[in-house]
Amino acid sequence: MSDQQPYEPKIVAFLCKWCSSAGSDLAGVSRIQYPANATPITVPCTGAVSPMYIMSAFNKGADGVLVSGCHIGDCHYLEGNYLARRKMYLIMKLLEFIGVEQNRFRMSWVSAAEGAKFAQVITDFVGDLRPLGPQDKLKRAEIK
Amino acid sequence: MINLKDIRETARDMLAKGEARAVIGYRRGSRGMLAEPAFLTKPEEADELVWDPTCFHNLSLYLVHDRKHLAHAGKNSGGAPVAIIAKGCDARSIVVLMQEHYFKREDVYIIGVSCEGTGVVDERKLATHLNGVQASNAAFDGDDFVFTTAEGEKRIPAREVMADRCLECRSPYPKEHNLVFGEDKTGRQLEAPFAALDRFEAQGAGERWENWARHFDRCIRCFACRSVCPMCYCDECVVDSITFPVTTETTADEKASRIRWIERSAARSENITYLMTRAMHLAGRCTDCGECDRACPVNVPIRLLNNKMEKEAREQFGFEPGASIGGPSLVASFLDKDPGEFIR
Amino acid sequence: MSKKRTGVFVCHCGTNIAATVDVAKVAREMSGEDTVAFTQEYVYMCSEPGQESVVQSIKDNKLDSIVVTCCSPNLHEKTFRDNAQRAGINNFTCEIANIREQCSWVHADKAKGTEKAIKISRSVVRRVNRNLPMDAVKVAVTRRAMVIGGGIAGIQAALDIANAGIEVILVEKQATIGGRMLQLSETFPTLDCSQCVLSPKMVEVNRHPNIRLMTYSEVKEVAGSVGNFRVKVHKRSSFVDPDKCKICDHCTEVCPVVVPNEYELGLTSRRAIYIPYAQAIPASFTLDEDACLGLNPIRCGKCKDVCEAGAIDYDMRPVTTTEEVGAIVVATGFDLYGPENMPELGGGRVEDVLDGLQFERLISASGATKGHILRPSDHKEPKDVVFIQCAGSRDPAKHCAYCSKICCMYTAKHARLYKKHVPDGRAYVFYIDIRSGGKGYEEFVQRTMEDDDTLYLRGRVSKLYRKGGKVRVMGTDTLTGQNVEIDADMVVLALAMTPSKGTMEIAKTLKIGRDKDGFLAEAHPKLRPVESVTGGIYLAGAAQAPKDIPETVAQAGAAAAKVIALLSQATLSRSPLIAKVRRSHCTGCGMCVEACPFIAIRLEGGKAVVNEALCEGCGSCSATCLRAAIDVKNVTQMQIHEMIEACLA
Repeated sequence: MSDQQPYEPKIVAFLCKWCSSAGSDLAGVSRIQYPANATPITVPCTGAVSPMYIMSAFNKGADGVLVSGCHIGDCHYLEGNYLARRKMYLIMKLLEFIGVEQNRFRMSWVSAAEGAKFAQVITDFVGDLRPLGPQDKLKRAEIK
Repeated sequence: MINLKDIRETARDMLAKGEARAVIGYRRGSRGMLAEPAFLTKPEEADELVWDPTCFHNLSLYLVHDRKHLAHAGKNSGGAPVAIIAKGCDARSIVVLMQEHYFKREDVYIIGVSCEGTGVVDERKLATHLNGVQASNAAFDGDDFVFTTAEGEKRIPAREVMADRCLECRSPYPKEHNLVFGEDKTGRQLEAPFAALDRFEAQGAGERWENWARHFDRCIRCFACRSVCPMCYCDECVVDSITFPVTTETTADEKASRIRWIERSAARSENITYLMTRAMHLAGRCTDCGECDRACPVNVPIRLLNNKMEKEAREQFGFEPGASIGGPSLVASFLDKDPGEFIR
Repeated sequence: MSKKRTGVFVCHCGTNIAATVDVAKVAREMSGEDTVAFTQEYVYMCSEPGQESVVQSIKDNKLDSIVVTCCSPNLHEKTFRDNAQRAGINNFTCEIANIREQCSWVHADKAKGTEKAIKISRSVVRRVNRNLPMDAVKVAVTRRAMVIGGGIAGIQAALDIANAGIEVILVEKQATIGGRMLQLSETFPTLDCSQCVLSPKMVEVNRHPNIRLMTYSEVKEVAGSVGNFRVKVHKRSSFVDPDKCKICDHCTEVCPVVVPNEYELGLTSRRAIYIPYAQAIPASFTLDEDACLGLNPIRCGKCKDVCEAGAIDYDMRPVTTTEEVGAIVVATGFDLYGPENMPELGGGRVEDVLDGLQFERLISASGATKGHILRPSDHKEPKDVVFIQCAGSRDPAKHCAYCSKICCMYTAKHARLYKKHVPDGRAYVFYIDIRSGGKGYEEFVQRTMEDDDTLYLRGRVSKLYRKGGKVRVMGTDTLTGQNVEIDADMVVLALAMTPSKGTMEIAKTLKIGRDKDGFLAEAHPKLRPVESVTGGIYLAGAAQAPKDIPETVAQAGAAAAKVIALLSQATLSRSPLIAKVRRSHCTGCGMCVEACPFIAIRLEGGKAVVNEALCEGCGSCSATCLRAAIDVKNVTQMQIHEMIEACLA
């Protein structure tokens, strides 16, 4: 049998400062362990996540992209997550349409109180990405 | 049935009376049967105008050009509006441009033309149909197109050689207009909306990718799609690192902060990023005039990408691009009931 | 633009970071970054020597920006930004890379943790490279506070703030202030009378020149931010002019409508026109619109006929006002966990099974039975009373996971008070553990057990039901291992405390977070326990977590102190990280105007213009703009682009 290590996907995680980044902090304070594959980029709000960020991350070699923010109704900026929900839906559909595996893009609502949920979201995402292997559809060729 | 004489008279009249600064319409092109855009400023030019199944250009592009020329020359439009011949899809483009404050309603006089029961011709379909025979003229005749060829007159049912977008068109009538010619046949159903898209989407993800990979590989990034699109009116495209409009307002800091979202090489990954960015940026703005698709020299089915966004917007958000001048924009608005099941 | 000179300071946090992240390697990798001129690692960067060394290193190495890779920015961003300023560079050129909460604490594998820590640090170094020095925006402060909730927490906070010379608006949903404490009989561990302690405070609130009381009112909308909130308050119509009402009681004598009395928790009834309780503040009757036959002399009109003072006005309309305040204290209190959620304890449908608050009313001298303990079903004195602790608490599988904290104490109090009233009665208490931390608390419970001869049974109750005029309680005594069956005359459930319904609503209105149990979330569990995550909004009382009266009063005082400190400043610094338009790229399409949740952008001469006083820096505009013509300062698309690159390098 092969003793090959499973593929370790590279994930860029856009976390809103108020909920999901705080939720990620809570996972830390609670010492809930999860895979180290996702590198967080904290943004003020999911509403600030341009679809360009998603495409750019894939273009630069991300195997998966996560956008996580406050639950609907809880946005610190009132409406940012509503705007994000629509934009992210469209980019998700477009990615699917050209044949990018559905599991490569994910969105979640993780509140500041949901440390365990944050850990679970990352764990699940990594679990779903591993069997897909490297993402090379949108990845720029010269980036090895 | 539209009488070309009426269009010509309107144009002549408006130019003669100074009610329009110019009339943007179609005239017989220098290349065979195809119509080409015409920018008329003298009443006597009105007789050059044509209206036939080859009038596929979305002339609102030239409204954009006009505004840019004026802006570069430091002039304002000065009183009289520009009159423009607009099909249903073109008129919706004009509405989107007005939604985006690109020009004011009073700056444009819309001479609407209804496509009635047909639409415009798809050159590729026609070429196949005529089997290599050149046509020198095309004309509407009820539900048929009539082509003049060396072998005589050829009558073809329009739906056999019409562009897909026209077959699928939901509103072949320019709702926003100052004057309109032809009957409102909104509700005619030649093919289901998004039929071509649905056929493509019926494939599995793997097949879709294989198809797109071929298309994306072919793209030479000539930017014809962008050049021909009235919605791509930005002075500088976000994906560009080539053009750079340096104005008096451009600061050194701004010059330094060009984001290279994509590389210049026409590699597949960069082509994908460009075309997807374009689709995202046209979401809720594209009125399916089909010009990008037609202009593409390597036959990338660009329309499908825009169509996909249009379909999602319509089905999920109840959004119709160019529905009304005061209406919301797709990505700057939301509804409580927007889909959220995809979010974990 | 000349090249940045960034310093990177890698904190070990003792072993908190160093155990699972190779800090030396992080520092080494960062020194390879083009813009990094200096790196240092230290065991506790936030300690006095650590901070000093940051300041000194900035000066010695002529650094113009720093990245501290340490814990969450929520903890020490301010610390290190202050240090940057102390060292003479702009505080906005300092950023934190969080490699503890988001890395070392959650990844045991040192190689992988180190790799991630490097990516995080590198992305922040790249971000800082394009950070611009910035000055905080100064805004004037509205020197007025709002306290939401008129229970003991709200009353205390309002008094403390008002006594400092600051105007306070106290908003209460009910017709009187007083809240839950008003319903209590006597309080542990001193057994002093609740109303005797509270009533003078209520009177003081009413008379205080700096306090404006808005009862029967609710907060509907909040706009603005710290220092300058605009709050829409909706005052329901009471149909009685409190200034004219003489509380003569004639109206209730003629009112034909009878509804359950909320203040007595349904143990008694009241009329449609009523006063919640005799010493209500404001001292006035209220006409309950929902219960009234029709606010119309033709339909009924009896109360208006008999009111000699002419205080009743059927045409009184609800009023919505907008109040401007600089700070807000949320003290919206608790409700009890619904017994309907617990079929095993009767589901709220078994007669003579009361909750703790109902029992308080039953033993209160002002209550339904004038302080005589009589069970509701037949008004007989109960001789066997079972008290069940942890009803809904400490049960993660089915109910609330948390401990409601006060139930051990008030159950002991209930048992004592019961024995005082019914000396020949027998009291049983089912408990899981006794938690009696607090001054004089343990002694109080011990006395209940020993002096008052209360039988404490360690175990849970599995079932209770009505049987032959009694309530059969089936439980287990885990100390003897035997099943226990008691035929009780009355059962009292110490139901879990939950955040009040109003708390959930107000959290949504104010956009302040709640924890997993629905209580209001504090900004930091240890260091900022009375602040919400939103600047200028503070928390007090049981809306934040279950707590008893002394704790509530202490927290209310602390919240008041925070408010006083905030409102004592002439101006506040507002974050300058707000949107900025690149005019050369803006086409004036107006999408940002439409997307902005704060109506902070307008079109002027065909270009977007940001109102700096209104912009909150959320970035919705920048993600919507098709031309990257609008950006949030120091979180620009360019910066995010380079951070993405760094994460994937």
